[in-house]
Amino acid sequence: MTLPVSDLAITGLGLVLPCGDGIEPARQNLASGTPCFAELPASLGLGRGAACASFNPVGIIPPMQLRRLDRPSRFAWVAAHQAFEDAGLDPKGDATGAGERMAVAVGTLTGGSEASEAFMRPYLQRGPEGASPLVFPNCVANAASGHLALAFGLKGPSATFVDRENAAFAALEQAVRWLRAGLADVALVIGTDGLFPLLLDVCRGARMLDRHTNPEMGSGRGFLPGEGAQAFLLESREHAAARGVKPRAMLRGLASQSSPGITGDDRARALAGAALALGAVSPDRRIGGANGLSRLDDMEARLAAVHPDWPAAIHPKCLWGEFGGSGGQLLAAALLESADRTLVTAPASSGAQFAALLEGVRLERT
Amino acid sequence: MNHRVVVTGLGIVSSLALDREGTWSAMLTGKDGLGPLTRLALPLEPGQMAGQVAMDPARHQTLCERMALRALDEALDGLQVTGDPSRIGVFQGAGTSGLPVAEAYLEERLAGRRGRAVETAFQSPSTVTDALGRRLGATGPRGTIMNACSSSLLALGQAWEHLAQGELDLAVAGGAESLCRTTYAGFSCLKAVDPQKCRPFSRDRAGLNLGEGAVQLVLETLDGAKARGAVIYSEVLGYGASMDAHHPTAPHPEGEGAARAMAMALRTGHLDASEVDLVSAHGTATPANDGAECLAIRRALGTAAASVSVTSTKSQFGHTLGAAGAFGAAAAILALRDQVVSPTLRLEDPDPICDLDCTPREAKERRIRTALVNAFAFGGNNLSLAFRQWEGR
Repeated sequence: MTLPVSDLAITGLGLVLPCGDGIEPARQNLASGTPCFAELPASLGLGRGAACASFNPVGIIPPMQLRRLDRPSRFAWVAAHQAFEDAGLDPKGDATGAGERMAVAVGTLTGGSEASEAFMRPYLQRGPEGASPLVFPNCVANAASGHLALAFGLKGPSATFVDRENAAFAALEQAVRWLRAGLADVALVIGTDGLFPLLLDVCRGARMLDRHTNPEMGSGRGFLPGEGAQAFLLESREHAAARGVKPRAMLRGLASQSSPGITGDDRARALAGAALALGAVSPDRRIGGANGLSRLDDMEARLAAVHPDWPAAIHPKCLWGEFGGSGGQLLAAALLESADRTLVTAPASSGAQFAALLEGVRLERT
Repeated sequence: MNHRVVVTGLGIVSSLALDREGTWSAMLTGKDGLGPLTRLALPLEPGQMAGQVAMDPARHQTLCERMALRALDEALDGLQVTGDPSRIGVFQGAGTSGLPVAEAYLEERLAGRRGRAVETAFQSPSTVTDALGRRLGATGPRGTIMNACSSSLLALGQAWEHLAQGELDLAVAGGAESLCRTTYAGFSCLKAVDPQKCRPFSRDRAGLNLGEGAVQLVLETLDGAKARGAVIYSEVLGYGASMDAHHPTAPHPEGEGAARAMAMALRTGHLDASEVDLVSAHGTATPANDGAECLAIRRALGTAAASVSVTSTKSQFGHTLGAAGAFGAAAAILALRDQVVSPTLRLEDPDPICDLDCTPREAKERRIRTALVNAFAFGGNNLSLAFRQWEGR
């Protein structure tokens, strides 16, 4: 299915990534191609991963609120703060009720899971006296969207998607629908995930992790997990122009296709179908979703073999890890280098495969 | 929106019965599906009352997935889905989903055992969505929403959006929820669980009971449904969505955000408040929700609120969290079909703040042209979906 997108602009970008907070550290890291993996602190899990070690919410999240937030919500808050600043919007300071016209769509694979572990671990050990009423509200995947609504005074529609590796793309699609239907003027799209011990434990137990070195496309050795958040502000070109804001990029197309079965062939056909649905694309830049796990890498490899004319893809998950925004990393990478047409393909181990086309990506906005 | 959207299939797996008509007839005769919780081992929790379904998980298949597939089969009612598979979508609201599997894994690990890591890794919330998609052979869009208690109502809204835009021919939407320790312990520690049977809109309401079950709807464009001679239950008119931006768990005390969601549903559905005859309410029986919701209904419908019937399915099934919106929708759709409102059970002494016709004790026959379905969630997330009686036009 192709979602017709004619005039939607991305006017704000906010990034919390393992390479640092903000656009410039991400741009430099992507350009250098330096993976961000290291041994994790025990509080996040045993093994290697890409943690947001330099994440700094000071001055952005008030200390009283910080204590109440789970890791994905903290990342999302800071990324959203950056995106609003980048777009020149101050929703809470706006006295005209603009917050009622601002939507939030969040994609997350691990949202709520870190809190669920933190809640259930003492409960299973000590019974009801171990249960914390402060932790439980963060056990829902949509905790981040609620915190963002409170933090920024957002009162429009809200949805949280949990479609594995492509949850942020599902969120993007919903945001586009709200804008197109006139249910919101501005949509904040977030991808956010946080590392936590049980996640590492499960992935290691399921033999999904690269145990030897950094993940590499086509290696078949497995992936390494990451964390972080990416925030994107979407609005119509006219709305942006009326505010005097120049877009970072135009979202020209967004397509998804699901596989009817569970084989690699089924999934590869679905990803190719999603890319094909965007029309005769001749991208001058490519972002892909390979992560070192054969299941996803094979889909990207097959796509590249069918389109030898396309430029070689950059695969951000091999730098920043899987789960680090549930697909938001790919959209972020697409916005970190100027290009006329950037094609993003987003393979997933299940559910819908996505492809997106961005036009007129400009890193500098002058 | 360019296309009218209708409901052509409805499947229900509930704590009252494992099928639609069994559930509906039990609701109308005043039965509830609440009883002592036996599925979970929670020895230290006080009085445990829940809406428990007479099904169990199977090996490699969660209870959510089993219930969802059963509800889908009933909703399809023998329909062999043909046509372009890329124009068939699946949209699901998820709540606990694979959480019981993760709980079991954590418990094993705490006990120093290995646990089933592979099964846990692949039990994500979208697993049910994929299972339904495979059953249908669908290659169209899929969405798995986790908006806590409003998840499945937004899934219905998503299906409506796709169909109304002409992007799909058919969609399956709904939700499934199974009881698990995390949610029981969570609501219990928030002091939100009533150890007795819950009493929505009552003066002495003391909290919710948790429940489980699944509801699946088949939605089609009106043209497609007519072309194949489908039985049409009702028409979906549109939805409204909003956030309170008020509190992480408590609703806005005056229902400000909820009222905006309902008003938006009226606008997208091109409805006047005076056309609304039924509100299938969120009605959790928590002290904070029910009063705020009644205020929101008054705010959204104005003077028309005085003649509207309100009902809460929580009194029959408990709070089915991720599936709750779909349960509310099912009650509204069947009420529109049969022109009868299912009762709010145990409503003997209404709270003065809930001064609407909340359909106490007994089902009520009445003219029902349109219905709003409400679902509100943690994070101040509000949804309202509008349905219209199908009169053959």
